[in-house]
Amino acid sequence: MGVAGSQDELYTKAAGEYGAALDRLAYGYEADADRRRDLLQEIHLALWRSFEKFEGRCSLRTWTYRVAHNVATSHVIRKSRRNPTAFLTLEEAQEQPDQGSVEVSADRQQSHTRLLALIQRLEPMDRQLMLAYLEDMDAESMAEITGLSVANIWTKIHRIKQVLTRQFRAGGSDGR
Amino acid sequence: MAGDYLPNDLKMLWKELSVNPLQVSPDQLRKEAEKLRKGLRRRSVIGGGAAWIGVVIWTIFFFLFPNRLQRVGSILTVLGSAYLLVQLRMRPARAMPDVGETDCTEFYRAELERQRDFHRGKWFWSRLVVVLPGPVMFCVGFAQSHPEIALFIWLELAVILVLAAIAVPLNLRLARKYQRRIDTLNASLKSTE
Repeated sequence: MGVAGSQDELYTKAAGEYGAALDRLAYGYEADADRRRDLLQEIHLALWRSFEKFEGRCSLRTWTYRVAHNVATSHVIRKSRRNPTAFLTLEEAQEQPDQGSVEVSADRQQSHTRLLALIQRLEPMDRQLMLAYLEDMDAESMAEITGLSVANIWTKIHRIKQVLTRQFRAGGSDGR
Repeated sequence: MAGDYLPNDLKMLWKELSVNPLQVSPDQLRKEAEKLRKGLRRRSVIGGGAAWIGVVIWTIFFFLFPNRLQRVGSILTVLGSAYLLVQLRMRPARAMPDVGETDCTEFYRAELERQRDFHRGKWFWSRLVVVLPGPVMFCVGFAQSHPEIALFIWLELAVILVLAAIAVPLNLRLARKYQRRIDTLNASLKSTE
């Protein structure tokens, strides 16, 4: 049993507080709806099991995101064995041509699709950072989850902003 | 209206993603975990059972066939099956780090290293060495003592050896692919230091 409560209590609290974020996280790792549901179930199961060992050395949020990202990373690696995919680093994503203009208010669905397509092509580590950034997580929390230094995280956040600005600015790179 | 999506707008856009959070109780998860544990146990029993059947059958072959090569092949296969049984009991060869205790970068690296080592190094070569020489020697012995069907056996052997020869570079290529991803990860960490 963990210091902050029983396994069941901890899981219920984490699922209640971060359930929606975990669902969004699964979107970042799996495009197919059925497989995404399976991944989400796998994450919830791993989360519940993990609370057996939770000793409160980090926050509930850090623990929850760590478990979720680690399970999802294993999922991506397993999937890439069956279906080899070349992932992009943030540095490579910066070099990618943008996809043309985005109608900010007209088609948010299209913007979601484009954002997800970008995230799902990233290397797992950069994907974790991108998802944490979009969830509005601060650099210290991101560092705790990923194990990178805060300085590293700031550099990565800078790159994430560059990638997003380039990919989502109106009119495309050549002013189309 | 067309306009720029600033990174902060994208954070809002991201949070608007239509989600349907999973509603699952700890009791359901407990049942699911138990199901999973039983499934793993069943797979382990089936794997162990198959290896034991291999031991029994090849032991019978040892006493059944008088040809020396066939006998050596049988013994090697029995030893190989026994080795697989030991591996099955001692697995995982390289346990995954804890999903909650381990930070994501370390976990990702460990997962890539585990995949790489599955395709190269002692675990890969031991699998090959364990399953190949015994049956090959047995087949050679069989061809010696049954010249009337020797051609068929040689063909069969050739197919096995060709498949094994293909498996080696394929696995090494996969190992290199994982190594490249580890290198990319290391380079990415270095570039932001």
